[in-house]
Amino acid sequence: MHDFLSLLPLVIITTGAILLMLLSAFESTKVEIASYISMGFYGVAFFVQLLIGCGPETTIFSETFNGMLVANNFSMAACLVILGCGFFTAISSHSYFKVNRFCTLEYYSIMMFSVCGMMLLTLTHELISAFIAIEIMSLAIYILVGYERKNVKATEAILKYLILGAFAGAFYTMGAALIYGGVGSTKFVEIAATLNIDKTISPLLLGGGFFIIVALLFKIAAFPFHSWVIDVYDGASAPITGFMATALKTAAFALFANFLALHTTMHDGWVTFLFYLAVFTMFGGNLIAIGQDNIKRMLAASGIVHSGYLLIALVAMNAEQFSGSVIAYYLAAYAIGTLGIFASLSYLGGEGEKRANFADFKGLAKVHPYSAAAITVFLLSMAGIPPTAGFMGKFYVITSAFSAGHIALAVLGIISSILSMWYYLRLIVNMYFHEATDTFEVQGRPLATAGTFVLVFFVFAIALYPVVV
Amino acid sequence: MFEYALSVIIFLPILTGLALLLFPLRGGVARAVGFIVSVIILFIGIELFLGFNGKSGMEYTEFHQWIPSLGVNYALGIDGISLLVMVAATFLFPMVFSIFKTRTKGFYGNLLLAQGAMLGAICSTDLILFYVFWEIMLLPIFFMIGIYGGDKRLSATLKLTIYTIAGSLLMLAAIIYVGTSYHEQFGKWSFNIADLQALSLSGGFAITAFLMFMVAFAIKIPLFPFHTWLPDGYTEAPTATTFILSAIMAKIGVYGVIRFVIPVFEVEFTRFAILFSLLGIAGMLYCGLAAIAQKDIKRLLAFSSASHMGIIALGVFCMNVQALSGCLFQIMAHATSTGVLFLFVGLMEERLGTRNIDDLGGIAYRAPIFATFFAIAMLASVGLPGTSGFIGEFLIILGAIKFNAFIGFLAGTTLIIGVCYMLWMFQRVFFEKGKERTESFADLNGMEILTFVPVILLIIGMGIFPQTFLEKIEPTAQQHVAQLTAVSASQIADTTVQNPGHTNHKN
Repeated sequence: MHDFLSLLPLVIITTGAILLMLLSAFESTKVEIASYISMGFYGVAFFVQLLIGCGPETTIFSETFNGMLVANNFSMAACLVILGCGFFTAISSHSYFKVNRFCTLEYYSIMMFSVCGMMLLTLTHELISAFIAIEIMSLAIYILVGYERKNVKATEAILKYLILGAFAGAFYTMGAALIYGGVGSTKFVEIAATLNIDKTISPLLLGGGFFIIVALLFKIAAFPFHSWVIDVYDGASAPITGFMATALKTAAFALFANFLALHTTMHDGWVTFLFYLAVFTMFGGNLIAIGQDNIKRMLAASGIVHSGYLLIALVAMNAEQFSGSVIAYYLAAYAIGTLGIFASLSYLGGEGEKRANFADFKGLAKVHPYSAAAITVFLLSMAGIPPTAGFMGKFYVITSAFSAGHIALAVLGIISSILSMWYYLRLIVNMYFHEATDTFEVQGRPLATAGTFVLVFFVFAIALYPVVV
Repeated sequence: MFEYALSVIIFLPILTGLALLLFPLRGGVARAVGFIVSVIILFIGIELFLGFNGKSGMEYTEFHQWIPSLGVNYALGIDGISLLVMVAATFLFPMVFSIFKTRTKGFYGNLLLAQGAMLGAICSTDLILFYVFWEIMLLPIFFMIGIYGGDKRLSATLKLTIYTIAGSLLMLAAIIYVGTSYHEQFGKWSFNIADLQALSLSGGFAITAFLMFMVAFAIKIPLFPFHTWLPDGYTEAPTATTFILSAIMAKIGVYGVIRFVIPVFEVEFTRFAILFSLLGIAGMLYCGLAAIAQKDIKRLLAFSSASHMGIIALGVFCMNVQALSGCLFQIMAHATSTGVLFLFVGLMEERLGTRNIDDLGGIAYRAPIFATFFAIAMLASVGLPGTSGFIGEFLIILGAIKFNAFIGFLAGTTLIIGVCYMLWMFQRVFFEKGKERTESFADLNGMEILTFVPVILLIIGMGIFPQTFLEKIEPTAQQHVAQLTAVSASQIADTTVQNPGHTNHKN
């Protein structure tokens, strides 16, 4: 019974996706209705996931699925984050498409399919099923990135992302094949069993691991595979950018962590490599972000920096007693901040996202004081200023790095967050310390405002009651 | 009844401040609300001060678990070290609300937020909780300077904010280092300062962590050479913010060194004490000389404040009871004298529209009461006997001579610079010929007199009856210094006896 319960959120989301796809055949269904339906499904799935709670680690239907899917606390937390991302993205899409009218019903259906892929990715402990999950997720995301067909920037973004993503997929397959050649199985348990006997990583396993890690580094936008992220995030519509930055990263990091945690030898073998990647990712991201004038591009670059912090958590994690709580908490904190900003961008951006630069938001605090305050809270959370969730996340990451003895990495992480203060403060300075030149007209009463303020609540709630750790 | 007094003085202003920011109110209403809240806090502060007996460590303690898995707690308490800083932060706020009328509700909300956060930093006995409040207290300052400051406020705010945040993030790394070291040595997590005293740290990482702590606090104090944000920040900030920065926030930097650095890093602290006390003196000297040259009276006071912070910091690094209690006493004295001087300058600016010393003159003839009050605060700030400033500076110099005669000599002679720029400024602003602008200068009105009289009385009272204050802080200061000397002496003994097994067999 517990097997089925663990799978239930995934089943709910899949049902929702198929339902929406069928509904889109009827001309009379309105896009707004579709957004409400998808919100409902995300909400129900979220609560089901929450109610199932932290059961013991279970291999779901070990007979039927041959031990490919494993549910544990980490997968539950990651699924909660992903479902939350889906829910709030649906809310901001609802407001976004009131102004930018190019949405059809399939949009919400495709988004739910991508969430299916992501949830599957957090559960999977096997390479081929992980590949299928990655592709379900990626195909849906490709379409969503280029959803605004008439926009040149979106077309450019989808082309870049599709070609590079296809490369990453090919690398992944290559890696899986090499590992299968070395171990004779693609299941994490059996790879771990082989490592238990050998005690060292064999050349085939090393090569395979390398290719898989390359593919994952591409998905999480880590150095040196980060340069696509700026253009793609900029080209996609604001809600989709927020969705990619949060949900996709959560899913990819879940697989990354599970893959590294499959055996201590595996983790130890890659620690030095990941150490340098983390450092370069943080500082490379900061250097890009400091130079940006466009908010979406800045957020894309700051997403790279946050991937760097998450890599610190991966370096510092203990593969023997892997709980993933630090990573899950950081992902949740980061997701709340990022979703919040994109939710507010979706109703403040205006038609065709005409307000996109720092300078366009001058004096926002005078016109929309509450929205400006909410954005400030999100920015402070991403910058890691207490008492926000972002501070707690950074605190856990740095503490775990110190405990694992990676003091240099922890200090470099701190220095990188000093650098990042610059571009987070810059938006706050623009919103508060200048006179308003724009009227910031907002059509009707967008639902995204409500979403924004709920997210502000969550920023403080999970900081003051850190339940996960 | 006073079980939750500390939580109340922390969260009452914070919640009221947030409410002021969130709800649409008029500036006048917001000011009234802020005044009432700050008066309530004042009365609780007086009760806390009178009820404090100073005999045994922490009083009014509160303890709740916050993050059990990492041993982070909501732990509050007041002892002799934090008492006078707490007093300064509770006593002086009503003045700000009663004097400045022309601000919007956001300003008053931010003021209350700053007060709550600063009280939180002063009262926390858990390092993480302290860090949380330490960072929060910067935010209202950031917004107050950025929104309500002078012409060059943008660069001043960014400079101040990035400077301080850089320091505090480094401190966060050091805090976590201390916490993980405790975990390694004792097998459990704790960030409570009482537990961390037991920690013995050594090696390069300990020195790095110590320096990170010191940099964070040195920026806040500000200690030479980390003072460069101060002149711009103090000058561009609205008067009330300058007052908070100089009267209370700078003191929290000194307080942080005494409370968190000394107990944890006894050995490193002893090793670096001479260096830091020289930095303190360099700051006194440099900022004092810079103050002489200033044309803007607020900038002059900014440098003078930095110069005085140098001597307060010196009191910490001398590591004996006289200097430490002098330093704690001077924290309060400086808040009442220099802080109040900033308020006076704010009043002058409000009435005359200028801060330029050359435009001023002859105010004493127009406004005798104002001039008298200003003179008393100024004389306290230069340390005239009979005022609060004398006791603190005397004790610090006494301690400095005990610590190192040369440093004591330097500190004593450098104080003269303070007299130079202050008296010269007073002469140019209050005496000499009246200028056009000062012709119509109105003296303090009834309300303003009522506001300042208690502080002026406090300045004189603290000068004449210092024992009332000193007896509350001395026991803790003694304890603190005793621990420091005991640990560092044993460490020094350890290092001199390099070969184990030789000298210990005598008995």
